[in-house]
Amino acid sequence: MLFLIEYKRTQGRIVTFKTFDDSHRSEAERSRLELELELNQRHIDHEIVLLDATDEHALRRTHRRYFEDAVQIANSLNGGS
Amino acid sequence: MATLSKTQIDRLGNRLKKGSPSDDDLRLLDKYRRSFGPAYDFIIRTIRGTLRLEPTGRPAKSTSSIAEKLRRESIRLSQVQDIAGCRVVVADIFAQDQTIAMLREAFPQIRVIDRRISPSHGYRAVHVIVDSEPVTVEIQIRTALQHLWAELSERLADVVDSSIKYGGGDQQIIQILTTESELIAKLELFEKDFSSPPNETAETHNSKIRQIQEDTARMKADLVVRLRSIISLLKGRQR
Repeated sequence: MLFLIEYKRTQGRIVTFKTFDDSHRSEAERSRLELELELNQRHIDHEIVLLDATDEHALRRTHRRYFEDAVQIANSLNGGS
Repeated sequence: MATLSKTQIDRLGNRLKKGSPSDDDLRLLDKYRRSFGPAYDFIIRTIRGTLRLEPTGRPAKSTSSIAEKLRRESIRLSQVQDIAGCRVVVADIFAQDQTIAMLREAFPQIRVIDRRISPSHGYRAVHVIVDSEPVTVEIQIRTALQHLWAELSERLADVVDSSIKYGGGDQQIIQILTTESELIAKLELFEKDFSSPPNETAETHNSKIRQIQEDTARMKADLVVRLRSIISLLKGRQR
């Protein structure tokens, strides 16, 4: 599964979150470029990334910083996950 | 699709470094990043299918990350090794070593960058660079603890100061992150000791295991307390 994420780093906040089926890779890549061009024209500096994970659960595990704040990440050390 | 020349790629890198890329620059970068697609697909398929691991792939590094890397490291765009890559999070240091061994078998042309031996500003992990001519693909292998540390450092870099990841910014935060990284390294060394074949009586060995388990639990609890102190520090400043 593919995930297109637009992330506002300074606020640690996801602005756009779109999912695509694996078979729609070209569409996902096109969307990423379109979003990048759109934000560039508006002089908006956000991180835009396309990630490829088995499911959303796996994505949230390997890329916590997009979804959890520092307290949540520190606390998860207790659970060891 | 015509292949980009090295000169074209590096000139694009120079423009990205300066900031404010044009739309044409972004289209060209997109084309360059897509050229990593076949190598990326092959590597991800092998890791998922043959090695039975669950990586999260990043077929193309984000534009902002590429521009930052070019500014930070004074390298050319054609030299950036992690345009395409993936991340694997494994349970512990044994699984990490095992994964490296499996990757060595699966891909003949790899280079291993062991950031457990040489941490980068506290960042510990193993990066495997697969040479798949004419491109490279980076595989990050992290233990659960190394991963949590890295996520915390990245999150703090996002919301507090981007230079935190590279040892800059608030020195109190840096000091805490450095201490935690050293603590995790110690804990993982304990884990390794834990697995050594016993050269002693069962009673002595079991007693050592109990001691290591207690030490590990204590260190983990200490880690959480210290990490929470970072948060309190930040909250205090926001008031």
